[in-house]
Amino acid sequence: MFLIPAGLYVLFAFVVPVIYNLILSFEVTTPATIASLFAPWAGISNYKLTLLQSITQSALIRTLTFTVLSLLFQFLIGFGLALLFNLRFPLNKLARSLVIVPWLLPFLVTGFIFRFLFQLEAGAVNQVLVDLHLIHAPIGYLLSPGWAYVTVLITNIWLGVPFFTVLLFSALQDVPPELKEAAMIDGAGPWQTLVRVTLPVIRPVIEVTFVLGFVFTVKVFDIVISLTQGGPANSTQLIATWAYNLSFQQFDYGAGAALNTVLLIIALLVAPIYIRLNRDSLRQG
Amino acid sequence: MGRQRKFTPWLAGITALVALAILLFPVYAVIVGSFENNAQLLGTHYNFFPPTPTLANYRNVISTQGSHILSSLIIGVATAILTLAIALPAAHALARYRFRVTVAVVASLLVAQILPSIVIANSLFVVYHKLHLLNSYPGLILADASYAVPFSILVMRAFMLGLPTDVLQAARVDGATEWGTFVRIVLPMSRSAIITVALFAFLNGWGDFIFALTLLNGSTLQPITLSIYNYIGVFSSNLGAAMALAVFAILPAAMMLIAAQRYIAAGLTVGSVKG
Repeated sequence: MFLIPAGLYVLFAFVVPVIYNLILSFEVTTPATIASLFAPWAGISNYKLTLLQSITQSALIRTLTFTVLSLLFQFLIGFGLALLFNLRFPLNKLARSLVIVPWLLPFLVTGFIFRFLFQLEAGAVNQVLVDLHLIHAPIGYLLSPGWAYVTVLITNIWLGVPFFTVLLFSALQDVPPELKEAAMIDGAGPWQTLVRVTLPVIRPVIEVTFVLGFVFTVKVFDIVISLTQGGPANSTQLIATWAYNLSFQQFDYGAGAALNTVLLIIALLVAPIYIRLNRDSLRQG
Repeated sequence: MGRQRKFTPWLAGITALVALAILLFPVYAVIVGSFENNAQLLGTHYNFFPPTPTLANYRNVISTQGSHILSSLIIGVATAILTLAIALPAAHALARYRFRVTVAVVASLLVAQILPSIVIANSLFVVYHKLHLLNSYPGLILADASYAVPFSILVMRAFMLGLPTDVLQAARVDGATEWGTFVRIVLPMSRSAIITVALFAFLNGWGDFIFALTLLNGSTLQPITLSIYNYIGVFSSNLGAAMALAVFAILPAAMMLIAAQRYIAAGLTVGSVKG
């Protein structure tokens, strides 16, 4: 009885959309066929045509590099901050609560703000870099393909750092101090203690953080749309934004659904790891 | 060693201050920007302080965006209510009873958490078209709850597993029905977790963009994320107003951080809380 609303909702919001997405991906879809729930069978032509497109292929590779670079920097910065907060200093608690802010903002708003910060003229980033004499002339970050990619990447790293910081910090808090002291007494330096004692102890949390970070990053959408809309010249299209483009701007819902299936498979790659990491909570109850 | 001990807190404090300054600068920038006019925002150099502070952008937003702000509020609150209505009973059942399906249900919720919203949006668009749910509050809210429902059930279940079973059994012995136990004992004892889950469900509905973009055409119903996006299309003409609207958009997060900080931190620690 208690499970009925949840069961119905999961059917409506997850099971039906995933199955229907699969059906759509094998159909010939046009704006006209949207009026009916089912359209003529297309075989695998949606997959073939979409995956052979060079924009799709570069979006796939770009999503991969984007995800790897995002997670790498989010982890390095997040772990650094977690180690920092693990030290005692004045106003530590206040600083820790403020660090969460980037994660709480609507992603679309984050993209909007960064678009303003990275604009060519009157942009804060150019202003600071020029004032510090690090660059001679302002850079059109959102106007050149390479810089636009870097800008989206920086934005994504910025909004993901709090997530890594908070999770890794709470893991560091749970490391028994005796363990570290024992290592110190045995003559291990701070670096050795970190690598040999702390990292192995918090490894499960690091794994969960990376798995969830992966899931968030492969489907990044809002910040790309608000920063670059996938441009210039599709140079910042990721899988999710390109699937949106195919479905909602080119009105080729079948092609969008085919690419969505690929995105779904990529996201689900980590499902077995995620379930395994949660095995304790599965066994309970 | 002694000198190092005294020195470390200050060094750590200053490093944290610098890190925070960088992390929070974008928020500072949008607030400063909301008090500038278009000529200043799009001039030749960036202003760290508004040269001639003006409230014109806020007046503009209040007179033109009031209904959109209200829409976002309705969507956020309704998303939170719907999420609780679905998640609380389910979490209770999954925490209390060892059904043969419990493991399967929990595992499928973990998988549901992973599903990208664009996949759901693409399908729902076609389904909604048929059901006439496009451009409607119910349609959008049902979609927005997909961010929070799996997470909320998992978090609430984990919390309810920690409730003392003897209290629940005592209620049972006293003849309370399952529903009575749930409403009168389990829910009051789960208050802090319920607040956490509700806050994040609200933020998910309030901040949603992907479903608003795909399931609305922006004519009748337009939350502020969509408004801000529409401003981007005409970036140069209305940047100041967009800045003020963006400040409105980040207000709930700021207020929650001040009023309900421990719930926010708790929510983040249990893991994935944003779609």
